[in-house]
Amino acid sequence: MASTVVTDQVTLTVNGQSVTVPKGTLILDAAKKIGIDIPIFCSHPKMAPVAVCRMCLVEVEKMPKLQPACAVYVADGMVVRTTTEQVQKYQKGVLEFLLINHPLDCPICDKGGECPLQDQTYQYGPGASRFDFEKAHFDKAVPLSDKIVLDRERCILCWRCTRFSEEISGERELALIQRGVHTIIGTFNDEPAQSNYQGNWTEICPVGALTSREYRFISRPWDLDRTASICPGCSMGCNIQVDARHNRIGRFQSRENLAVDDGWLCDFGRYSFPTFQRQGFEAPRVRQDGKLVEVSFEEAIAAAADGLAQARGAVAGWASPAATNEELFLFQRLFRQRLQSPHIDHRAFRPTWPDPDPDDMTLPIADLERCDYVVVLGGQEVIDAAPVLHLRLFKSERRGVKVLKIDAEQGARAREWVPADAQAVGILATVSHKKEATDLQAALGKKVKGSVRRLLVVRGPNGRGANDLGILPNFRPGYEGLNGQSGKGRAEWGKGGIGAAYIFEASPLHAFEATEDERRWLSGLKTLVMHRFRASPLDDLAHVIIPGRAFTEKAGTVTNMEGRVQRIGRAIDADAVPDDWMVLQAIARKLGAPWDYHESSDITADLLDLIPQYAAVDRGERVLWSERT
Amino acid sequence: MPLRPDTVAKIQDYARRYPSAQSAILPALWAVQYEQGYVTDEALAEVATHLKLPPSLIEATSSFYSMFLTRPEGRHEVMICVNAPCMLRGADAIVAYAEQRLGIRDGQTTSDGAITLRSTIECLGACGGAPMMQVDHRFEENLTPDRINAIFDHLRTAPAFHEQPPAEKKPARRTPTVSGEITRSGPSGARARTRKASK
Repeated sequence: MASTVVTDQVTLTVNGQSVTVPKGTLILDAAKKIGIDIPIFCSHPKMAPVAVCRMCLVEVEKMPKLQPACAVYVADGMVVRTTTEQVQKYQKGVLEFLLINHPLDCPICDKGGECPLQDQTYQYGPGASRFDFEKAHFDKAVPLSDKIVLDRERCILCWRCTRFSEEISGERELALIQRGVHTIIGTFNDEPAQSNYQGNWTEICPVGALTSREYRFISRPWDLDRTASICPGCSMGCNIQVDARHNRIGRFQSRENLAVDDGWLCDFGRYSFPTFQRQGFEAPRVRQDGKLVEVSFEEAIAAAADGLAQARGAVAGWASPAATNEELFLFQRLFRQRLQSPHIDHRAFRPTWPDPDPDDMTLPIADLERCDYVVVLGGQEVIDAAPVLHLRLFKSERRGVKVLKIDAEQGARAREWVPADAQAVGILATVSHKKEATDLQAALGKKVKGSVRRLLVVRGPNGRGANDLGILPNFRPGYEGLNGQSGKGRAEWGKGGIGAAYIFEASPLHAFEATEDERRWLSGLKTLVMHRFRASPLDDLAHVIIPGRAFTEKAGTVTNMEGRVQRIGRAIDADAVPDDWMVLQAIARKLGAPWDYHESSDITADLLDLIPQYAAVDRGERVLWSERT
Repeated sequence: MPLRPDTVAKIQDYARRYPSAQSAILPALWAVQYEQGYVTDEALAEVATHLKLPPSLIEATSSFYSMFLTRPEGRHEVMICVNAPCMLRGADAIVAYAEQRLGIRDGQTTSDGAITLRSTIECLGACGGAPMMQVDHRFEENLTPDRINAIFDHLRTAPAFHEQPPAEKKPARRTPTVSGEITRSGPSGARARTRKASK
């Protein structure tokens, strides 16, 4: 064993420093390992080398010419030098060539300040250009789609975006058109790009050629306040950085987590941020003599507590699957302990729902790459529910994983498709097709030799947390049954016996979305409390409206579809609006609860007492229910 | 204008000839230009459909090569080679003669729409017959002013290549020759005969 390990390693020297790396490592990565920075433009760790920009040229002993460090693999005994006079001369030369036609409009360029071309020109480039002819001119501010603006003069033709389109998303929408000095980046026939992953182009662009329309001229990068958080778009749980300026969201940027998002975001999530932009202060309102009247938060909370208590246990509670674990924890305690009502739910309307269980997430997202067969039960429906899954699936396919995308009803086809000698089979489905997924899992479990695991895409960035914490009529936190004390689920609320409702609609993206029938019974209630961030279609039926906070205005934890507990951060200050958990606490205190939390992290501590598995949050890991004692 | 069924059949045939459909893009584009005279965006999209490739890739390929025309030009395309071997055999004088004779310069089209002249193309590989030019999809070699006159006179009235009946498009069909001139090299020319004799 030991000998194979030894032969797989290669030792070389870079700038006199010895480094040992696995065979098949690029010079660039070997140098990076010992802290030697080689400038690059076209090279990208997730894409195959193309060596078109020539920025990374280094001297390799016994090779007659300089070699591109991004495309040459290491060899035993190799001697690499990255700072010789010749290398420096070439670096200056490459930058001088790149800048011949690149406009020097950095002062008005969105990329200025976080631009590899700018940074590397300062670090490695010549101070001045010897080129005093007219620069070549191309189209500026070309709308590539409704999301992206392309400046063709700034493009240095590194091919990163076209390679993303080919190697990462597989959509092949972007291409290099024309040839030589006339080469431009574009879509076929200048049609607007359709991809749902375009925002990533702006992040990998090493210049200011591809920029987001939403972020155009919003801020200088050094002025941004950056807060680590989680994307509110879906249950994937992609890690984001909320970049804010003057207490307003400027953009969502990716924050690479190899286990979840692999460094990418979808446009649905990335460009969802205007939804969370606060539009000024909104006062709480209480219905008096049929009219909504503005009141203070204290009055609104008192009115809510009063109205809910009067229903004497016949209270329905709906909490959005976008609320944090801390809020949901308080929410279910408020209902079960204070309002004596088990009628809580977080789900969309459907006559029946399958019960959730911890086995719905036995397949971690990153393990898709390690399966040999993956069945996407529901095809595009699953991708639409968690778009970044497509990138993981495409990456897996390129590495040899067989992926079958079929309608949820076609499980029989999948049963035949997966061979008996499969080692690891994965099943992906949305939660609404849980039955089909479990049926297929059971059938394949009998047929194949290896493991068969499933991952269900739930609704909302904390849909999984809402299940874990028992925002369900028939489960306590931790999937514990209620011994015959089950309440009514959302589908039964309209059938009578409910006198009041509390709708905690934390995110406009994952709202209550009442059906016509539901509107009818809601309008007949004695008390309807709407606790929500943004105006809701249900406001006109409400008796109490309590404005809440946006996803970007609170701290806490959320649990993604695979059970990974991750922190969201407060990127925007909204001091005039009490935090959502504070409202829940205030209502509970009116009803006699002794709660005295000062920070949402105090709630996390209590939550951990109840569900010790959630300690995974401190390690960014998945909740493993099998550890339950 | 959708592609004719026989062109589509050709494209599908090309796709079957290669392990990767990407390899069939150039032959497919030629088939389009043979049929329509130039390559429209609509045709690019159609090629993409038949080859089951993204249309962006077809446009990337067609725009890379300058010989695929994106708009209608003269009925006939005359390309005079000016690379080294042709230049040494007097290509510059041939270009000057053609320009004077047609009254147009590189890249322009005669006022009657008959001929588009190009003289900034790269080597066409017919150096054995230098100086040479390509007329539509045929080589004309060992050019002299007389031969150029004869060819141009013929082109003034001949229909565009893509409008000729398919039977006439065979490579064997030639423009009129001037007596006493060697008009052809290659396999059926003098060299081919020598090779046979030496066996």
